Amino acid sequence: MILTGSPRNARVPCATKKRILEDIMNKGDPRELWEYVLTQVELSISPANFNTWFRNSFIVKIGEDGVVHIGVPSQFFKDWYLKKFHTLLLKIIRDVSYEFRNIEYAIMKDEHRRIPKETKNTRGAIELPLEDFYINKSDNLNPRYTFDTFVIGSFNNLAYAAAQAALERPGITYNPLFIYGDTGRGKTHLIQAIGNHFKKQYQGRKVFYLTSEKFVVDYTDAVQAGTANRFKDKYRQYDLLIMDDVQFLSKKDKTQEELFHLFNALYDTNKQIIFSSDRAPAAIPDIAERLKGRLASGMTVDIGEPDPESRMAIIRKKASSHGVLLSDEVVDYVATTIHGSIRELEGMVNSIICHAQVKGSAPDIAEVRQSLRSFTRPQKNISVKNVVDKVAEFYGIDEESVYEKTRRREVVRPRQIIMYILREDFRISYPTIGAKLGGRDHTTVIHSCEKIKREIVGDNELAQEIQNIRTLLV
Amino acid sequence: MIISIEKNKFSDAVHTVSRFAERKSSTLHVLSSILIIAGDEGIKMRATNLETGVDLKIEGECTSKGVVAIPAMVLQQIATSFTQDGKINIEHIGDIISITSGTGKSSIKTVPYDDFPSIPFPENPKNRIILSGTLLRTLFTSIASCASSSTVRPELASIYLSIEGGVLTAVATDSFRLAEKKVPLVSKGTQGRFLIPAKNALDIAQALPDADVIVSFDEHQCAFVSDTSMLVSRLTNAVYPDYRQIIPKESVVEAVMLRKDFEQALKRTTIFSDTFQKIRTGFDPKKNLFSLFAKNADIGESSETIPARVSGSALELSFNHRYLSAVLALTGAESITLLAAGVGRPLIIKGVGDTSLLYLVSPMNQ
Repeated sequence: MILTGSPRNARVPCATKKRILEDIMNKGDPRELWEYVLTQVELSISPANFNTWFRNSFIVKIGEDGVVHIGVPSQFFKDWYLKKFHTLLLKIIRDVSYEFRNIEYAIMKDEHRRIPKETKNTRGAIELPLEDFYINKSDNLNPRYTFDTFVIGSFNNLAYAAAQAALERPGITYNPLFIYGDTGRGKTHLIQAIGNHFKKQYQGRKVFYLTSEKFVVDYTDAVQAGTANRFKDKYRQYDLLIMDDVQFLSKKDKTQEELFHLFNALYDTNKQIIFSSDRAPAAIPDIAERLKGRLASGMTVDIGEPDPESRMAIIRKKASSHGVLLSDEVVDYVATTIHGSIRELEGMVNSIICHAQVKGSAPDIAEVRQSLRSFTRPQKNISVKNVVDKVAEFYGIDEESVYEKTRRREVVRPRQIIMYILREDFRISYPTIGAKLGGRDHTTVIHSCEKIKREIVGDNELAQEIQNIRTLLV
Repeated sequence: MIISIEKNKFSDAVHTVSRFAERKSSTLHVLSSILIIAGDEGIKMRATNLETGVDLKIEGECTSKGVVAIPAMVLQQIATSFTQDGKINIEHIGDIISITSGTGKSSIKTVPYDDFPSIPFPENPKNRIILSGTLLRTLFTSIASCASSSTVRPELASIYLSIEGGVLTAVATDSFRLAEKKVPLVSKGTQGRFLIPAKNALDIAQALPDADVIVSFDEHQCAFVSDTSMLVSRLTNAVYPDYRQIIPKESVVEAVMLRKDFEQALKRTTIFSDTFQKIRTGFDPKKNLFSLFAKNADIGESSETIPARVSGSALELSFNHRYLSAVLALTGAESITLLAAGVGRPLIIKGVGDTSLLYLVSPMNQ
């Protein structure tokens, strides 16, 4: 009795341990089931055996028909499992539940094998992505910019449609496609998405994306090295050439000429050309007329300011692409608080996402408000007198005359421009503007602003003048 | 078990087989052992490290049957010590094995062989080709060095073998250079492709006999079977990159030169290469010269010009010299052809009259 009694006693703690494990275990979860199986196998075989045969295996899935699929690294393992461990493993999983009917072994792909190890190492913290910075060297395109991540709203509807049309029949429908709009409206995203899509749709055709600044540098380098011919050939081989920020070509006469020839060469062979700029072709200063004409010869579309709904859609999309779900409240708050470009909006969303990844949860409205404080721009404060001084100086008139009730032509125009700038840039109310400028009626002010607004569209000189005045005011 | 074997045959066999035994001691003891089987099929030696495996037949007399596992290290050291001709007798009693050779006798403790794994043969060996062992050995040994030595990307640490239209194509690349070698096959019917880890291929190449071998493979396993041996290896389960995409279709300049000239000039220039092992090469079609230049701030600089037939436009490219010299081991041709596709694009090297080889090397940034 004593002899047979001792081993039986020894087995008791083991059995209770097993019971506890079984109770807390989720039988349907392959990882937990495998961990349980391992603890049992470890008791039955030598440590060397265990390390050799069980370290790199795992349960792939538990089939609905009760078959447990175990993934093993190679044929050696599969054969040996079948020969040596099959009965043992089957007994262990049957002990867990009678639902498990059989075990099947599969050899796992090398990439798959490493996954379980990695998930163990990176618990909690999500690795911050690096691939955002990846740029394809042969075509300069950033694969991050695709149509999937492009938010379409009323502000860029037309531009998007034009892009799709250009992709449909490249080189024929809209050639060149000229997209313009203020900074941070998604021009670069749109034109790079065209490039990326083109690459996918027409495999084997060549795409190249560059900024006009890179073009200038390339050209000057080529001239210096005496390889201008190679430079010409390099750019003529592309089926789709995308040039960003062409406004920087102003005053670069030689490069403009080169672009003019390149344009002709590509255009004549029906290769698609896409340009982007921050203003309409006609409004780009110091650029040769013949190039200006060609830039505008195809389709010219502008991207306006995003409406609040589009801004919200952009925020949602950006956040969800990083796997963070923001509450409606937060989205609404960010969309209404951040004015200006989409780029700033993205910057804000990025900082929220970073917070979320570090802390492991999406931030609430209070936290967002706190971190947003650094983003909100201080309101521009400027005295009316300052504006009047600068404009009067610009037009070479006496500033006192602006306040007087004179209707001389040389004073009327600057006065209207002052009103326009005060209204557009500094959001001063119409009655206040009227009162400050010599006690005029607010309807006069409204009329002046509307007039300038109308004229600015057709009159490039005026637009240029106002642009120059604005730079004086900053 | 009582067997007797010729000394040199025993030594050769032990050297071949011990390569396949596990070198790390952390795992199962039996994996770092050689299994000797004396049975109806004669005398056999087996070893495996669960990546590769070997089963080798040895000529010898078998007096009584039996199976025994002996640590590979010990057996290897004993085998190297044999000098004179003659026979050795191996006798297995209890858990001791005694090896008697002419003058001496050593007794070795054996390892329990119950846990020695079976050596798996491809499950469905329908895919099979026959080619000479010598050919396969040179193919593996020459090309394996071009595969990546890092295991981060298992597909790049492997040799890609594809059988199509009666031609066996072997490819290895570490993403800086690429070697492709083609071997014609006798049988034309088989088609298929598989990835064998380069390390395993090297081990197998050392053990291949000169005679014809049958290569059979399935999705996970391949085997090389001959009259005297069976060698198996696990295969890499990954997708090989579509390497044909990166091979330039056209070239801007082509240079043909004597291999001997190239080899000597390269050897001298290598001495002056910098820490990045950079060598600048130049194609001069006007003077029909190919030049090599290297500069090292600590040593000095060197330039070499080789008479060559250069056609195309002038071009300068920089390379890692190790990748240039590697091609010399891959072809036996008297002259070599260098085809450049332009600045920043890979250079193709071929042997003149040797259509089997294609070697591609990416340039370094200027």
